[in-house]
Amino acid sequence: MTWQLLADQFATQFGLWWIIIPAILLGIIVGILPGFSPQNTLIMLLPLTLAVPVEQALAFMIALYCANHLSGGIPAILVKIPGSGGAAATTLDGYPMTQKGQAQQALVLCFTASVFGGLITTLATIALLPWLSKLGLYLRSVEMVVVMLFGLTLIAVIAAKDTIKGLIAGLFGLLIGVIGTDNIYNTPRATFGFLELYDGVPLVPALIGLFAISEALVMLEEKMIVSKEGRERAMQTQWADTLEGLRMSLQKWWHIVWTSFIGLFIGIVPGAGASIAAFVAYQQSQMWSKHPELYGTGIPEGVIAPEAANNGVTSGTLVPMMALGVPGGSTAAVMMIVLQYHGMIMGPRLFTTNPGLAYGVFVSMAVAYIFMIFTILPLARYMARIVLIETTYLAPIIILVTTVAAFAERQYLFDMGLALVFGVIGYVAHKTSYHVTAILIGVILGPLFEGYLVRSLRLSEGDPMVLFSSTLGNILWALLVLSLVLPVVRASIIRKKATP
Amino acid sequence: LQKAPLGADLVIPLLALGFAAYFFFSIRELAWEAKANGVIIGTLLVLLVFVQLVRIAVAVMKGRGSLRTDPLWQPREVLGKRIGMVLIAIAFIATLKWLGLTLGLLLGMASSLWLMGVRKPVRIALISLGVAASAYLLFIAALDSAFPHGPIENAVAHLLGRA
Repeated sequence: MTWQLLADQFATQFGLWWIIIPAILLGIIVGILPGFSPQNTLIMLLPLTLAVPVEQALAFMIALYCANHLSGGIPAILVKIPGSGGAAATTLDGYPMTQKGQAQQALVLCFTASVFGGLITTLATIALLPWLSKLGLYLRSVEMVVVMLFGLTLIAVIAAKDTIKGLIAGLFGLLIGVIGTDNIYNTPRATFGFLELYDGVPLVPALIGLFAISEALVMLEEKMIVSKEGRERAMQTQWADTLEGLRMSLQKWWHIVWTSFIGLFIGIVPGAGASIAAFVAYQQSQMWSKHPELYGTGIPEGVIAPEAANNGVTSGTLVPMMALGVPGGSTAAVMMIVLQYHGMIMGPRLFTTNPGLAYGVFVSMAVAYIFMIFTILPLARYMARIVLIETTYLAPIIILVTTVAAFAERQYLFDMGLALVFGVIGYVAHKTSYHVTAILIGVILGPLFEGYLVRSLRLSEGDPMVLFSSTLGNILWALLVLSLVLPVVRASIIRKKATP
Repeated sequence: LQKAPLGADLVIPLLALGFAAYFFFSIRELAWEAKANGVIIGTLLVLLVFVQLVRIAVAVMKGRGSLRTDPLWQPREVLGKRIGMVLIAIAFIATLKWLGLTLGLLLGMASSLWLMGVRKPVRIALISLGVAASAYLLFIAALDSAFPHGPIENAVAHLLGRA
């Protein structure tokens, strides 16, 4: 890699602004709507991306993908409905900020954390690509079981008010995530006789039900989703609030940096994805915070951590695709198909045979992030007004429109009913503090966890001690235990200090 | 001192317990590879549910809590709206095959708004039409998704000569 090559790539990508800006706007719209994933949008637009030159197709796909990761946080902050699984953790502090009348500031935090988190990790990826590409090779199924269990420990930590309730919700979600045929023999398990569940529980109806429908049923209790004071603040939104959000972001610049790197490293692990990255970043942010008790009440760090991480994932996901030919996620898989159609052969040789295009992918991503901040930041003030709509109108729109959106992923009417079932479960969980987020983490992790666990056990012919057979795995086990124990120890120290 | 209504806290554990029992039943004759994950998760879940049941039982016996389920139903004044919204959503999904997306959503929105207490016909009509028209444009016209077509979709297709 030479500086000249990078400079040429930056110049080329900036010249593609006429593709990047519309792709950003499309990505934002797609990201806001639950049920619309970037991979589905890219599949629908496949004829377009296959027809144009590869540089243009790449710029379009990358900009859409990054904007999608950013905008999932918008409905998560405004109405507690994450646009994607990666934004579920953003609801934890983003929505309380909205209720306090700080929706505009929360949106600006989301945008800046996403853009700068994405930009920093993309530049780091360009610099460290040869080394990062090897990282995924060290994580085998045994280590991945522990990585997945890390996700599980988050359940206990996130639901810190009552760990037992958090664990019940998480394990209930994990068991729901196991519904469907098994990986080896394809025999159905707990499908209630529905063919539609043979592929497992689809994530979009679960997400829509647990977050959107349940929240809409709860929000009926109030005239508006913001408090009375928050309403007055929201009605007087000014550009100064956007500037205040920027000031908050600048104050927490280091937070953006380190949580985005969590996203980058998790993104490199094939299959892990933005959902896990966002929750891991949130939990780590809370664990190392001087005021962990404030998390969940609407603090800037609680928005920054998941948003920086889920955009850090964007470059990480592409690392195994470019360097090893293994797509890190479903969107990366669609991109790989398009790139292969244009004659690009993925793998280590790509960097010697076609370095311009190989590094161009990440340069394109960096440029997309630069354009994104100027495109979306001015919109925060106007987006924040949505919280002033009365729940009388908002709740029916959310329930019926998101039920329709549940259809989008697989195009089954069954999924709309499933969203409603999850909505009722989510409502009960919400009213009894069983934390819908914990259920969702479980549903997301269920199939991944099973895949890695069964692979490990098959390799060891059923011996569970295989899970403690690797050095890296054992280090991860130790870190996992530390993650569980440290918050308890800290809480106990704080309690002792508080007692006179 | 008012006792905590812990009956509502039993709903999710009992649901989880019932589902775990059904899960174990459904995998009873499968190979170990198909069972392993479910057995591990299910066993942990059952253990935790029992811990929670014991916690609730102890709280009730010590007089700190009762088995009332109030949190699920309160505030009473919105209970009708809540149940009504779920019923409208069920009716919307159930009749979608015949009404199609646009008409189904139009009627669903109009009845939901009426249920929520909106009584201005023009406002109900405008919001319902806006939502239904947006859904038509996005899902039928732009994305051509597989939503069932009803009278409106068929009429528009006929007008455009696509019937």
